[in-house]
Amino acid sequence: MRTYELMFISDPRVPDEDVIAMTEDIQGMLTANGGEVIRVEQWGRRRLAYEIDKLKEGKYTLLYLAGEDGQIPIGEVELRMRQNDRIVRYLTVRTDLDLKRAGLPQPTEAGPEPETTEGEATAEGGTAPTRSAATPAASAEKSAAGAETPAGGGATTTGGGATATEPAEGKE
Amino acid sequence: MARRKVFFRRRKVCKFCADKIDYIDYKDIKLLQSFVPERAKILPRRISGTCARHQRLLQQAIKRARHVALLPFVTD
Repeated sequence: MRTYELMFISDPRVPDEDVIAMTEDIQGMLTANGGEVIRVEQWGRRRLAYEIDKLKEGKYTLLYLAGEDGQIPIGEVELRMRQNDRIVRYLTVRTDLDLKRAGLPQPTEAGPEPETTEGEATAEGGTAPTRSAATPAASAEKSAAGAETPAGGGATTTGGGATATEPAEGKE
Repeated sequence: MARRKVFFRRRKVCKFCADKIDYIDYKDIKLLQSFVPERAKILPRRISGTCARHQRLLQQAIKRARHVALLPFVTD
């Protein structure tokens, strides 16, 4: 069984409901061949560390996937994300080997991955990324109306999509 | 007689070995940030004392985090 993490960043001007629709679309593609979506996290709007296509913020979505060899059409999904100009960046990482080597459990439906198993340093570790993890699709659906839209004039910069792709194996 | 200078150098320990972290997650920005100082360059082992194996994992994680804009490539 292979596991993957698929993260993508969508344009913050895209309303939450559309982000969810896109996520479901991707999920559909992923599961069509027997693959499994273990967990979905909508991180919501987040500041980008640097500008991507003139955007300073993005909406992060994270999917945890599992499936046997060939069950997950990552190539097709990545192609679709590249062509979708509402997705500015994506990253697919295969995690099963690294997790196994580290002796950690594979991701599960509920809990956040216990990758930070430090005892005392918990105060600073692990809180930030999983902060909004507790608000998956369910709450985002409701708050879709509350999504503000900067750059009201519509057609400003519709970026060229994602650039550098990381190979799923995570080689340099 | 020339006095020999005595250096007191604290022995550096790999943080990841000490904390028994064997999987460095690219999403754990708080952790990664402590290895990218001001200029956003990756802190060399020479300074941080990270062991070779963990530096390799760390480097990979930082690069992934940069790709998805969780960490900067440069700052000025």
